[in-house]
Amino acid sequence: MRLAVAILAIAVCLFLMQASARVGFSRLFARYALIANSLEAADEAVRLTPSDPEAQRARATVLSRLQQPAEAVKALEAATRLRYRDDLLWIDLGNAREEVGDTQGALAAFDQAVRWAPHYAHTHWQRGNLLLRMGRGADAFAELRSAVAANRGYLPNLIDLAWGISREDVNVAEQLIGVRNDADRLALIRFLARRGKGKETVAQMRLLSAPLSKPQKDEVVYLLFSAKDFKDAFEVWSSSPARTAALFNGGFEESQILNEPGLGGWVRSREQNKTSMAIDVAEKFGGTKSLQVSFDGEWNPGTPLLSQTVLIEPSKTYRVSFSVKTKDLVTGGPPLLTVSDATNGQLLGKSESFPSTNSWLTLSFEFTTLATSEAAVIRLQRNNCDPAPCPIFGVIWLDEINLS
Amino acid sequence: MNLKRRNGSRAIAALVLFSVVQISFQIGFAEPNDTTTATPVLQQVVARLTTRNNQPITVNGISAATGATILTGATIETGADQSATVNLGPLGSLDIAANTKVVLTYDDQGNVKVLVLAGCAVLTAKKDTKGEVATDQGSSEKNDPAAGGVLRLCNPPAPPSTTPASGTNGGLFGLGTAATVAIFTAGGLAALTPLFFQDNPSGSTP
Repeated sequence: MRLAVAILAIAVCLFLMQASARVGFSRLFARYALIANSLEAADEAVRLTPSDPEAQRARATVLSRLQQPAEAVKALEAATRLRYRDDLLWIDLGNAREEVGDTQGALAAFDQAVRWAPHYAHTHWQRGNLLLRMGRGADAFAELRSAVAANRGYLPNLIDLAWGISREDVNVAEQLIGVRNDADRLALIRFLARRGKGKETVAQMRLLSAPLSKPQKDEVVYLLFSAKDFKDAFEVWSSSPARTAALFNGGFEESQILNEPGLGGWVRSREQNKTSMAIDVAEKFGGTKSLQVSFDGEWNPGTPLLSQTVLIEPSKTYRVSFSVKTKDLVTGGPPLLTVSDATNGQLLGKSESFPSTNSWLTLSFEFTTLATSEAAVIRLQRNNCDPAPCPIFGVIWLDEINLS
Repeated sequence: MNLKRRNGSRAIAALVLFSVVQISFQIGFAEPNDTTTATPVLQQVVARLTTRNNQPITVNGISAATGATILTGATIETGADQSATVNLGPLGSLDIAANTKVVLTYDDQGNVKVLVLAGCAVLTAKKDTKGEVATDQGSSEKNDPAAGGVLRLCNPPAPPSTTPASGTNGGLFGLGTAATVAIFTAGGLAALTPLFFQDNPSGSTP
């Protein structure tokens, strides 16, 4: 009796060892098949463990990569039969069926995916996308909204789709998105601002139940500015319709210098952060302060040191005047002020090079804007000099920069 | 006593029924209304994205993976080790290599244009599709709509293709996949051999 039990136990152990080995080797083959795109390895994995859905799935993936979608569908159907509650398998099957043109079969598979994972976003998202491609727009967007309700991470994708499907009609897009609250609307505002749709952005901002916070507003301004919608960026920034040219802090009475491109002041170039700049209360032409810039050799010609974007009107002539003082300025490429179109970068005008002078000197120059101009960039930069390198030493002071 | 117990049971049953009805009503009322009114969606050709290994790529600056819908005007960008195919249905398909950025436009009149801003793309245009692949540098390729065709373009232009080095058959140590599978199988069988009951483990040959 004892011997029989022992033999039985050994037999069970051996069976389990063999089963484990089969599973292990099957997984090894499946992994290798995916790495090497080897159908032979995938077939071997399935042969070793025909009831393992992972082996079938690996085979389907390889078949799909080898441009055999019909066979991939069969493998995935086998996998879903073996593990019918796996929503990811159903999604794979849906995608594979759509690949071979079987949209109804794909929809049936996505239905199963939604059935087994109704609270997850990815199942609704896949089903919604398929419905959209099947021409069932209303059902599609209802499904896509379900995905967003489950995971707000899909909201930007939904907005992008709605915007495209609506052919850039913000009212239709808003309905397709199903904007319900300020958080949804803020996502839409960000999307519109990123696309440079300033009018629509401002209109959506007016529909908010509470005004944007300062950081949110700054973000919208930055997005509009980056999209080169300068007038609307200015409108959001200043909270008033802007149609007049304005240069801020031309006398450097405020010590704040911006580090990011934007409106409302001077922006320091990131590339030139080694050059020393300071607000000087001792030297000034007007007011109480001026800008002092000290050079110790480094300043890449062509790269601006300081810039400000200002609104301008098209086809109009402006005059820029400023006061400058230098001390021990030594360089082959002296500094100057330039003005260029903010949209296409075309040079509109420039000052003469800063002369070596130990007293304040007022310089001016004129420029005419383009017919399409909305904004211009005033830059402090320097002339190129030949040969490179082109060091610059000394100190300059700038004050009372005016645009008229 | 029995009568009292029966009446009690009835009362409890009625109470339970009432509670269930109440809960059902409340759940029904609490269900969020879909305030979205039916909005007519314009019918248009829509394409479908497939990414390699279902890895997400970027479409219009947003992450997207296999199954995503691609609309005309989309900017599609792949990173390193990422590639994608856009199925344009009756118009054909677009294969996008790794580290590529393209702008895809198409319409239901059979026009497909791919602007390759960086990287490489292959447009397979079906018959009656007017395909064009161009770069922002000005170079472009067009097909003959009557014949369809395959248009390839890289920006910057790809260097001439090199002959693959010998011995790159894939598989373990370049032995080829069939040989690798054979080695694995042999290894597996060797490992499994002791598990089988055999009369003579030494085999039939001396």
